[in-house]
Amino acid sequence: MDLQVSGPKVFFVLPWDLPDTTIFTMKNLITQTTITLFVTTIILIILAVTLTRKITKRPGKVQVLLEKVVGMLYNLVESTMGKHNIRFAPYIGTLFVSSIFGSVIGMTQLFRSSTADLSVTMAWALVTTGMVWYNNIKNFGLKAWLKGFTEPIFVMTPMNIVSEIASPLSLAFRHFGNVAGGSVLTALIYGALSLLTSALLGWLPGILGEIPFFQAGIPAVLSIYFDLFSGFVQALVFSLLTMVYVSGACPPPEELPEDRRAILEKREAKKAKKANN
Amino acid sequence: MGLLEATGFVLDKFESFVGVNFWTMIFAWVNLLILYLAFKKFLFGPIKKMIDDRQKEVDDIYSDAEQARESADRLKSEYEEKISHATEESEEILKKAVRRAQLKEEEILKEASEQAARTLERAEEQIALEKKQAINDVKNQVSAMAIGIASAVIERDVSEDEHRELIDDFISNIGNE
Repeated sequence: MDLQVSGPKVFFVLPWDLPDTTIFTMKNLITQTTITLFVTTIILIILAVTLTRKITKRPGKVQVLLEKVVGMLYNLVESTMGKHNIRFAPYIGTLFVSSIFGSVIGMTQLFRSSTADLSVTMAWALVTTGMVWYNNIKNFGLKAWLKGFTEPIFVMTPMNIVSEIASPLSLAFRHFGNVAGGSVLTALIYGALSLLTSALLGWLPGILGEIPFFQAGIPAVLSIYFDLFSGFVQALVFSLLTMVYVSGACPPPEELPEDRRAILEKREAKKAKKANN
Repeated sequence: MGLLEATGFVLDKFESFVGVNFWTMIFAWVNLLILYLAFKKFLFGPIKKMIDDRQKEVDDIYSDAEQARESADRLKSEYEEKISHATEESEEILKKAVRRAQLKEEEILKEASEQAARTLERAEEQIALEKKQAINDVKNQVSAMAIGIASAVIERDVSEDEHRELIDDFISNIGNE
């Protein structure tokens, strides 16, 4: 039996001389993952638009459900990040929905899970890191942020830098590994069941001997764990960790140092003034 | 190499299982951004607004009800105060009226008794006067009669002027006997 474990299929290769190694490539412009990404985006936008087209003060069944879910999201963000960080809720929600939908769409077998591609989870993890860095610099100032790497003692600096780099890497690899590993396991199980069928029922005459009977049923049960449950859990973990990392960079205004708070308030006032004009 | 492959389309190439594709990352960011903007505009924005609006409406209804209750309480206490005042006032008025009526009654009674006393006095005076007159009348008649009788008895004229004293004595004696 020949079982191949490979990444997404490549559909379009750029003709120019660009870096192209096993771990980093710039040559493959369009892959299966690209298709999945756009398909999920389009489906989700269509869903969002159609579901919220007729929202009223007196909600129907669908609206009640939607409101429940959105309310849960806002409550989760508020309890994890604090009331002052509620503005991150739409991003967290988008991330969660993209992740879970990107994982589950693999079950259709028409598209490859977008989260089974390290590029995607790495891109999302880098967004988290970018948000953390941006908010750290915005809230504490560049100097204080850089100085934070030398704490608690100067010797710790390399460790702190490594941990700063490790957090997006671990975030990306965790999500990618779970989803991709699930699909690999599913493929392995399919292969094993096919072998088992031919070993036990191969004596059946004609075409009957070639039908992998055991492949029916058993993978479905496992798929509930590897695709649905794992997809949900990883989406939750990714969103939760993003919330935790970002809220670490966005403490409540009253916990900021006095001088930083003054600077931020001045900046806010200027922004408000500009918005009024 | 076919025409399709020459344009960049490939049909049998796979990426490595663990690897990062620069363009996929770009597309992931683009899609995340598009989805974020779309969700903010079409999903989270309107729904959150709806939830908040409804919450605000409910809060408003509750605070309105609270205000209405407070004003009703205030009105009620005002009414109660007014009513208790009114009772006091009415009692006051009643008391005053009763006092006035009593005064009036006393006055009337006093006047009436005075008048009665006056009338009685006058009546007594009149009675006394009339009695005196009657006595005088009787005296006159009796004296005339006595004169007549005496004249008849002594067969001679008794002059009234001459025997005035005698007659009077006589009459007085009659009254006394």
